[in-house]
Amino acid sequence: MGEIRRSHGEDPEDDHHHKKPKLSPFITQSQIQQEFAHHQQGVARLNNGSFGSCPGSIIASQKRWQLKFLQQPDDFFFNQLPTQILRSRTLIKDLINADDVSEVSLVDNATTAAAIVLQHVGWAFAEGRFHKGDAVVMLHCAFQAVKKSIEAYVTRAGGSVIVVQLPFPIHSNEEIISEFRKGLARGKANGRKVRLAIIDHITSMPSVIIPVRELVRICREEGVSEVFVDAAHAVGSVSVDVKDIGADFYVSNLHKWFFSPPSVALLYCRKSSLSSELHHPVVSHEYGNGLAIESAWIGTRDYSSQLLVPEVLDFINRFEGGIEGIRNKNHNAVVEMGEMLAKAWGTSLGSPPEMCPSMAMVGLPSCLGVLSDTDASRLRDHLRDEFSVEVPIHYQPLKDEVGARDEGGGFITGYARISHQVYNTIDDYIKFRDAVNQLLHDGFDCKMLGRE
Amino acid sequence: MASNDVHSHRDEENGGATCIATTDTQNSSNHRSDCKKYEIIDIDIRSEFSHHDRDVARINNGSFGSCPSSVIESQQCYQLRFLQQPDDFYFNHLKPSILRSRQAIKTLIKADHVDEISIIDNATTAAAIVLQHVKWSFFESKFNPGDTAVMLHYAYGAVKKSVEAYVTRAGGHVIEVKMPFPIASNDEIITAFRNALELGKSDNRKVRLAVIDHITSMPTVVIPVKELVKMCREEGVDHIFVDAAHAIGSIEVDVKEIGADFYTSNLHKWLFCPPSIAFLHCRNPEVANLHHPVVSHEYGNGLAIESSWIGTRDYSAQLVVPEALEFVNRFEGGLDGIIKWNHQKVVEMAEMLVKAWGTNLGSPPEMCSSMAMVGLPPSLEITSDSDALKLRSHLRDCFRVEVPIYYRQPKDGEVNPVTGYARISHQIYNTFDDYYRFRDAVSNLVNCRFTYSNGDPTPTEDWIGLVWFGLVWWKMKESSRFDETPLTNFDFHVTVTNHLNSKIFL
Repeated sequence: MGEIRRSHGEDPEDDHHHKKPKLSPFITQSQIQQEFAHHQQGVARLNNGSFGSCPGSIIASQKRWQLKFLQQPDDFFFNQLPTQILRSRTLIKDLINADDVSEVSLVDNATTAAAIVLQHVGWAFAEGRFHKGDAVVMLHCAFQAVKKSIEAYVTRAGGSVIVVQLPFPIHSNEEIISEFRKGLARGKANGRKVRLAIIDHITSMPSVIIPVRELVRICREEGVSEVFVDAAHAVGSVSVDVKDIGADFYVSNLHKWFFSPPSVALLYCRKSSLSSELHHPVVSHEYGNGLAIESAWIGTRDYSSQLLVPEVLDFINRFEGGIEGIRNKNHNAVVEMGEMLAKAWGTSLGSPPEMCPSMAMVGLPSCLGVLSDTDASRLRDHLRDEFSVEVPIHYQPLKDEVGARDEGGGFITGYARISHQVYNTIDDYIKFRDAVNQLLHDGFDCKMLGRE
Repeated sequence: MASNDVHSHRDEENGGATCIATTDTQNSSNHRSDCKKYEIIDIDIRSEFSHHDRDVARINNGSFGSCPSSVIESQQCYQLRFLQQPDDFYFNHLKPSILRSRQAIKTLIKADHVDEISIIDNATTAAAIVLQHVKWSFFESKFNPGDTAVMLHYAYGAVKKSVEAYVTRAGGHVIEVKMPFPIASNDEIITAFRNALELGKSDNRKVRLAVIDHITSMPTVVIPVKELVKMCREEGVDHIFVDAAHAIGSIEVDVKEIGADFYTSNLHKWLFCPPSIAFLHCRNPEVANLHHPVVSHEYGNGLAIESSWIGTRDYSAQLVVPEALEFVNRFEGGLDGIIKWNHQKVVEMAEMLVKAWGTNLGSPPEMCSSMAMVGLPPSLEITSDSDALKLRSHLRDCFRVEVPIYYRQPKDGEVNPVTGYARISHQIYNTFDDYYRFRDAVSNLVNCRFTYSNGDPTPTEDWIGLVWFGLVWWKMKESSRFDETPLTNFDFHVTVTNHLNSKIFL
């Protein structure tokens, strides 16, 4: 990014003076490294997907807001906080193409957004608007916190849950659409209604882009009451147009791929009679003033991470192509690195490149013996502790003895979810490649970790 | 002011250590008779609170609390560690660090077991947790429609809304305990509470929940919680929840002795933690079946574990409890010493103010914590909550005094009633200056015959008023910094109307 270009002599002054190089207006590679200089040196940080990342200049801005509160908290509360939150919300509304700023609330994270939507569903069951046994549909690879939230609010209130199994490895959107239709049909069996569909925009583990627009359309056709898109990873890694997607509720974290500090997420609620029924579970004096206002004050806390959207946009616009440029670069790089690794190990990717966002699922050689979730988690720790490589590992059980095979003929049951963000360099992936090669060379098997 | 008293000597040029010491004089009132000499050893309080806006008389520690810079620094270390390598922080450091904080709290509040302690954002969150549990009890038919919840009329606004959101909506009936204010003794509270419990049990109903403040917020008063909890047990109340948002660091807290089912307090108010952190103590965690409303993969592992992970966030404020206690223990007498000091000082300052203004305290000193309600001169004519808020803004914007104002509705037949009270706080960073400035600001407003009026002014009146207030404010700012003497009286009559935009003076 950003090169030093020679001027082409168009400036008449250059004829008389030594030709000065013109600097690119865009951020340079060394500036990027400086912005992320706080990242631990020596670690191949291939897991932007889990906890995200935040540039040093945004952290510095955040500290200034934190200081303002500490200096004179009353003045901050009365005179600054509400305006600044509104400022962030307005910018987000434009970013995601929402109609009205009242549709945009800021919450801590997608986990909180799920609790808000599901608590609302829970009330509907308890107050008799939904009937016992009415269904909630979710994907089998929905984020674990969301699954638990469904248990806590829907199952406990008498709703039933339909789980749509998605195949993995996956080859096309059609596979997803077909399974989803089957899931909806099961939900509606025996005269039940499907009250809520929870659809990931980008699944977490294994990570795949879901054709949300199509699935939301199918939900509408099939009379699903409400559609909630869990897009925790979306903003900053794929294009987001909430009107085009058409869901009732749409949440995305900003601290994952949108350079915000931990933690802040947007929750979009399409204006409708439903949206006024949503409440933040932590009730303050703002109760009843609409979710966005309720969420803007849930008691004394540090709200500084919610105030930085303007600064984040400034940071993003230092990159060529802005957020779209960053997304494309990350996507291309992660696919390139994924293919490099798969070739080096004789494995394959878990999905075609067009279904990868800024993350990719790369098959691990079968002889590493990832045969359970525990193996996957131990292998992850082992890579961190012994090789300074940070990358989450996914265990994919075989279905009916069918699955992808590696070059050696063994079934691939372990996948690494590699991420690419602007601070990553090719060295990070080479380090990972070499770590796995080392394990192979040493005859490593996950069974060995159990003995430690 | 007793002549031998020495309070913090703020020499703007001297960056050296600040020492606060007080000695008893023969003129001390009875409640001060057992005060010891308190001395800060090795601490430069000014430097620990140097991030506070120097121009502001900050007498509202009660609302948002305060945090010394050494604790902020510790917090920033944790924040940095997360940013450096978040996975490693999450897997290897976060849980043990939260446990360390929980253990420190358990010892501090004399709980039996660390399982009883959950750490959450604030008392507002704790209320949501307890009340959501009550909601489920109504839904799952453990409680019957119409069963009652009893809470104080002076319960915190957010808690009242939470009770509406979870209890009323689920079919419960809410009874508010009305207490007099000003208040003269605990007996008034105990009697009112007993009556409310009786009412709650009438018509074959059960009292399922009692929400009792340990220290009410506005108006602020220390409530005899031990007695009220005992009464609730005798009357068969199912769940007793003590909202003690202000308690830890301003009065003694012994949860076993108090005996409630649930007890919550903020640590960022009076215990020097950064925003924000609170604990929720649960007497019987296995039985209670409380859940954090933000559900994560830890759901079902007990409230303490659920609360320790509610998705990716900055948990650093929850990790510095040991560091905050280290700070506290640099004071002679530790937390007890600070509590006694703050109480002594706030009462002293409150009595100074009521004497200067000719008003009264809202409660006897023994019902004050590190805060006190000080009556404002009736001539200010505060006649609504809105007037109170405007006066607060006016004091902030024109006099740089930060203090919350409470409107008290007068009783029928009261003559020249005191309808406005200021809730003054004292924390270790406060000095006499802060309260003198407040005293002088109010005296000045009284002398200028400042009132709230509903009439529409003429534009000329408006602008003349603004100009004169500008001069008044400027003069106050100049004089109060150096000689701490009250202003000379201004005899110019000004009426301030509802649409005065005091921001013009910033």
